[in-house]
Amino acid sequence: MWKTAFSILVSVVLLATFSFVIWVVASHDYRWGAIAPYWKNLLSGWWMTLLISGVSLLLSVVIGALLTAGQLSGHRLPTVLCRVYVEFIRGTPLLTQILIGYYLIANAINWHSNVGVGIVVLSCFSGAYLSEIFRGGVESIPRSQWLSARAIGFTEGQTYRFVVIPQAVRRVLPASAGQFANLVKDSSLLFVISVHEFTMQAREANANSYATFEAYLPLIVGYFLLTFPISLLSRHLEQRFRYEH
Amino acid sequence: MSIEIRGLTKHYDTTRAIDGVSLDLADEVRVLALIGPSGGGKSTFLRLLGGLEVPTAGTIQIDGNFLPQDEDLLRDHRRRNGFLFQSFNLFPHLTALENIVLPLVEVQGRKRDEALARAHEVVARFGMADHLTKRPAELSGGQQQRIALARAMAHEPAFLLLDEPTSALDPEMKAEVLDLIEELCHAGQRIVLSTHEMGFARGSSDAVVFLAGGKVIESGPAEEIFGEPKSETVRAFFGKVMKW
Repeated sequence: MWKTAFSILVSVVLLATFSFVIWVVASHDYRWGAIAPYWKNLLSGWWMTLLISGVSLLLSVVIGALLTAGQLSGHRLPTVLCRVYVEFIRGTPLLTQILIGYYLIANAINWHSNVGVGIVVLSCFSGAYLSEIFRGGVESIPRSQWLSARAIGFTEGQTYRFVVIPQAVRRVLPASAGQFANLVKDSSLLFVISVHEFTMQAREANANSYATFEAYLPLIVGYFLLTFPISLLSRHLEQRFRYEH
Repeated sequence: MSIEIRGLTKHYDTTRAIDGVSLDLADEVRVLALIGPSGGGKSTFLRLLGGLEVPTAGTIQIDGNFLPQDEDLLRDHRRRNGFLFQSFNLFPHLTALENIVLPLVEVQGRKRDEALARAHEVVARFGMADHLTKRPAELSGGQQQRIALARAMAHEPAFLLLDEPTSALDPEMKAEVLDLIEELCHAGQRIVLSTHEMGFARGSSDAVVFLAGGKVIESGPAEEIFGEPKSETVRAFFGKVMKW
């Protein structure tokens, strides 16, 4: 009874909010013609964002996995170092990390590709978050599974490979998908090192045309086209790796 | 199995789970039952025997060989034995069949088709042939324990170590699993089990060890311990558990 009432209330409030927002946004008087000359730039920015996000996503999984392995290694030094890294990266602004990464660190080793450095910094940033998600997943596998694997005669490596990781993957999927979506959107901060990604192109279109909403609204569609498939894929994989029924 | 244990001690932080146990079991003993109150050290004793834990002090000799301390050698010891836990501990992401085949292939080094054939054979013996493609979550507790037993028996273990194998089961399933274990006893399988099933311990084991407070209070042939227990602790325990 209360549950039904609550469901109805929630539905009504959300529907009303959605309609209101859509109505307000749709009834604005747009001058799409003003940004017509910049469509090509926006599109190339979208491709750049896709490239950066895609490569960073793969690289951040590798970095995240390595950081998790370091923290679970059982040796004190790598554990502490990985911990320091994760805490530092998660506790400081990405914007500053990008600036330091490009103008100080990459410069010091004579690397001047802003896209390349951007990908590496993003991967390092996202990898820190992923490692915490991965670690949580691994540590959520009950002790009894370890005990059972030990009793069978599995080595530690075999236990990870056959018992712990397959179960942990399923558990970390939803949180990882969220982090991947963040990664896509965080890539917009690479404007500070002049990477011509999607948001940067929108900023330029706005600066040249003074058509703010016309320049920025495409971002909604563009970013959603990148993040929603990640979400769908994650759901699909969750179903596939389902084992609790 | 001849088992010779000297001064066996296992401490966890401040608790003494096993506290200076010495024990000799003659070769004729094929089935050994560990009984006694919960927290008395039965589980720890089994884990020490199975090489899942390393003793704080003392030695275990099985058939004349000292149990090693080194992890790699201890793993070989574990690979020769089969271990069954109270809570089944099957791998939930694998089917019943894969739970049995995976250790055969990866640990025992059998070829996959050979392992499959062997798995089918044990599973049929334990009456689980119809449930091979199911995951543990789709099986009842009794069925899970039978698959776990099949997994522990698939590589023909030198010892089968059973840690309260029926404690998590309801009476009907208990009986099913106990029947199977009894069958294994009759077939000559060497078994060490900890149990609260006094009837089973009395009827199926050759020797009984009563553990309490980490110490052996009494040990000997089942008939002796159940027939005329010498110690007051054992008598009091039987008085309590057999009352109902």
